[in-house]
Amino acid sequence: MNWKQRQFSFSLADKDRPGPIGLVFDIQRFAVHDGGGIRTLVFLKGCPLRCKWCQNPESMSPHPDIMRIPHHCIGCVKCMSACPEQAIVMDEDGRVVIRRDACSFCGKCVATCYAGSMSIVGRYLSVDETLVEVERDRQFYENSGGGVTFSGGEPSMQREFLIAALAEAKRRGLHTAIETCAHGPWETFEAVLAQTDLVLTDIKHMDAGAHKSLTGVSNALIADNLRRMAALGARMRIRLPLIPGCNDTRENIAATAAFVAGLETLGAHVEGFDILPYHRLGEPKWEQLGRQYPMPGVRPPARDHVLELASIARGYVAAVTVGG
Amino acid sequence: MNKHASLTAVPVLCGPTERVKRSLDRFMATTPAICHERAVLITEAYRQNEQQPSSIKRARALEAILAGVSIFIGDDEIIVGNQASKPRSAPIFPEFSCQWIEDELDRLEKRTADVFLISEETKAKLREAFGYWKGRTSNERAAALMPAEALEAHNDLVYTVGNYFYNGVGHISADYAKVLNSGLASVIAQAKAELAKLDYTDPAQLKKMHFLRSTIIANEAVIAYAARFADLAEKMAADCADALRKDELREIARICRKVPTRPAETLQEALQSFWFVHLAIQLESNGHSISPMRFDQYIDPFFQANKARLLPEKAQEMLDLLWIKFAELNKVRDEGSTMAFAGYPMFMNLIVGGQKRDGSDATNDLSFMCLQASANTGLYAPSLSIRIHEGTPDALYKEAAKLSRMGMGYPAYYNDRVIVPALLARGLSREDARDYGIIGCVEPQVGGKTEGWHDAAFFNMAKIIELALYDGVDQRTGKQIGPKSGSLETFTCYEDLLASYKAQTEHFVRLMAAADNAVDMTHAELCPLPFLSSLVADCIAEGRSLQEGGAHYNFTGPQGVGVANAGDSLSAVKYLVFDEKTLTMKELAEALRTDFKGREDLRMLLVNRAPKYGNDNDYADEIAREAALIYCNEVNRYTNPRGGKFQPGLYPASANVPLGSVVTATPDGRKAWSPLADGVSPISGCDTCGPTASVLSVAKLDHEIASNGTLLNQKFHPSAIEGDTGLENLKAVTETYFKNGGFHVQYNVISRETLEDAQRNPDQYKGLVVRVAGYSAFFTALDKTLQDDIIARTEQTF
Repeated sequence: MNWKQRQFSFSLADKDRPGPIGLVFDIQRFAVHDGGGIRTLVFLKGCPLRCKWCQNPESMSPHPDIMRIPHHCIGCVKCMSACPEQAIVMDEDGRVVIRRDACSFCGKCVATCYAGSMSIVGRYLSVDETLVEVERDRQFYENSGGGVTFSGGEPSMQREFLIAALAEAKRRGLHTAIETCAHGPWETFEAVLAQTDLVLTDIKHMDAGAHKSLTGVSNALIADNLRRMAALGARMRIRLPLIPGCNDTRENIAATAAFVAGLETLGAHVEGFDILPYHRLGEPKWEQLGRQYPMPGVRPPARDHVLELASIARGYVAAVTVGG
Repeated sequence: MNKHASLTAVPVLCGPTERVKRSLDRFMATTPAICHERAVLITEAYRQNEQQPSSIKRARALEAILAGVSIFIGDDEIIVGNQASKPRSAPIFPEFSCQWIEDELDRLEKRTADVFLISEETKAKLREAFGYWKGRTSNERAAALMPAEALEAHNDLVYTVGNYFYNGVGHISADYAKVLNSGLASVIAQAKAELAKLDYTDPAQLKKMHFLRSTIIANEAVIAYAARFADLAEKMAADCADALRKDELREIARICRKVPTRPAETLQEALQSFWFVHLAIQLESNGHSISPMRFDQYIDPFFQANKARLLPEKAQEMLDLLWIKFAELNKVRDEGSTMAFAGYPMFMNLIVGGQKRDGSDATNDLSFMCLQASANTGLYAPSLSIRIHEGTPDALYKEAAKLSRMGMGYPAYYNDRVIVPALLARGLSREDARDYGIIGCVEPQVGGKTEGWHDAAFFNMAKIIELALYDGVDQRTGKQIGPKSGSLETFTCYEDLLASYKAQTEHFVRLMAAADNAVDMTHAELCPLPFLSSLVADCIAEGRSLQEGGAHYNFTGPQGVGVANAGDSLSAVKYLVFDEKTLTMKELAEALRTDFKGREDLRMLLVNRAPKYGNDNDYADEIAREAALIYCNEVNRYTNPRGGKFQPGLYPASANVPLGSVVTATPDGRKAWSPLADGVSPISGCDTCGPTASVLSVAKLDHEIASNGTLLNQKFHPSAIEGDTGLENLKAVTETYFKNGGFHVQYNVISRETLEDAQRNPDQYKGLVVRVAGYSAFFTALDKTLQDDIIARTEQTF
């Protein structure tokens, strides 16, 4: 069964199988901006941060979520009759509404929704099930210098699964990368790093207070973890999601780039510093999860502004890209 | 033999010169028109030569055309020779078919695609000419020769043999190298030598006499045509006030006196010689897909001989100007066909790179310069292709990838690893197989030796599914057209359905072979082509035209269209009805009969829950492979009147649209009368696992048996292939597809228009992903305003 077929059904009971079991919310093949070459991205659920601009809001919770894409619905209402909890109802205006608290994640609605409007986010996978999917593109990795990247969410939230999956990928000769916010216990990162060829990480703001108000946590632990990774000689790509009005001042860019240069001094192999301009592609997913998007109306930054900031960063770090 | 080039220095590559830019502007500002000259001249020539055998009649007609058509030398032209009275105008070929042109004369200016201007004078002259051809066209003769049942199945679009039924055959490559290196004088000498050997008391040899004489008349006519340009250039030089242009015109005059009669020596002579031959072939018959083929191989020696005395930008300019001349060639098609072939395509396939006859890498300076000419001109002609083998230099790969990224769909990539063995299996010698080029869309052959009849038919594999499900009854007309092979109501297992599909395939491939052979015999009888035949081995030596089987290699290549629809339809029934039992045959039959009216849920079940070809899912991929093999193995059974074998291809040109328009709803979830999948590509919107999964699926088909060619179109959003890493990734996709047995791939870069179409037709773009770092979602899951955002960003990269 491949990742696509797994979407047709969901079982909570999969969680209770032996061995490290991960909660994976997407496996995307042919990812080309996430660690070099053609890669497969494995997205793990759960994140300690609550960034207002989060592009994968379905990743935040460490538990499954229920999601509905209204414009895929064909109005067959089979989901309503299938739900044993009466958690899917129709309001007075004829709109389908999910009573999320009532959902028991039995998966019956997903099984009946042939149009793909209802979905449960997250599948409980074993390391082997994950790697089987990853291995399908092995030839592409070999021909392009790619591999597997574990992303999220914050992949280290699923510490046991992540380490086992990385180790298994290494054992199978694959290039491994993680995409991490670096907020977590150092012991976890130390163990992860031993199985990881490349760390993709980001710093949302250099000011601790601003960082806390934007993401819910201070940047102190993050900066500390990044310095420790650097001291171990980690290969890194540092990324900055450039959010208009939040972290896009010249001063913050300069401070971030200076921090990245400092990581190099500490011993990190910094492959690049990527400025990732804000985009709104995550916005509909907030609505599909029944949540309010915290940053309505924010527009992507102007091209000239981004290029100017990139040139500031180049004063500190050699390899600056826009868009990764 | 070392496959790797010892040294691959990229030559100096030059952008377009001012002269090229002016010529491009002039090209863009010219609206195609209809030119009546050829039609009038051939009609008159036929009237005067009624008593002659076909071959002589055709030669005399070519002679009259080349002597009588208006000629001109445009401003800035260096390579001269025009197909019609104005650039981009199209001549008319009434001898093949003319009823449709007569019916559509007043529509040509008004139709939506491929508009042609036409004057009242031209209409009147054409009507007069058409009067002669009533009852005399090859189309009418072929219809009379065809078994009634075979013609009926053609009309019902179970297959179409329309291409050669209404037009000349084309789909060939002449031995251009022979002309460049020896000249047409040597061709005439060869024909005369063969004539001298004949014993006219032998009836078979008497027939050869007519053919050989016709080749002499035709070659002399082309020589005289070149001389007309020499005269014109001299006259223009005498009147020219600009000293530089005067010199250019004198040089043109000198060259047109020399080639194509005698061997070329300089680059300009070689290009001019090539062009006269290419042009004369276009005027002799309207068969499209006349392929320049391995142009870098036969032109490079002349460039090398000239290199020290020629500035790189001058050499590049000559090529660029020739590329514009290619695009000026034109052909008028009926309105129905323009829906499928919009954009005035001539399918002149020019291929670079690959191996030499000895297996070593063939890349040379011209390989790079041809890619550059396509980048400089940005036109749809010639159709640029590249051969890939183990020894293809990275530098050439990279230039090719850059061109791919420009979004014109060129170059098309071809896989020597599959194509060389496929041609060996068809009886080509090892050297000839390594020397292959491409005809038309994707059809491989060795140039100058083959009458491949590559575009013999399009076979509607989805219609076969329909007939297989409904006991041979055409759901559009209600007629019983196929054998009674069972129906949805009677199948008790998947094997019953598969047997029914096989039975219908067998029946209709047999009829298609009969229809093709009737058309083939007609061309031999009425339309031998003496000039073209004289430039393809072994016609002169054998004393037989191409149309009578004079070529060294002979094939007939009909294409299966709708592999993905056939495969996915079979998969859906097998999986949902017989394996999972999610669906009963009765429910399925009812939903299909009503085109899913009120049963969108069931259609979604078929679309989203059955395994689909294109997702690297073995279940669906193996069934698609089998559906294709059933067709291919049937085609392999037949022989053509030229003594050659039938060989299958799997590509649609654009026939997937008209062929889909006659097919009722199918179990892959396709609605009635909608288009079929393109080539061997998955159904649009059903390849939701990305390009890597898609190409791995497609590679699972047997591409070697489909030796007439398979076609894969792979789309990328620009975000997926940006930067140097994007070029590397494109190469990695090509390499992986080819190592797994793929045949051909070309890349389309998704444009703003495509994304707008995706907004309107989300079903067909379900797999579309805009690649952004660390982000996960499909384009169609976004709402309208965000899709608009992406559209606005698509053609802007940071």
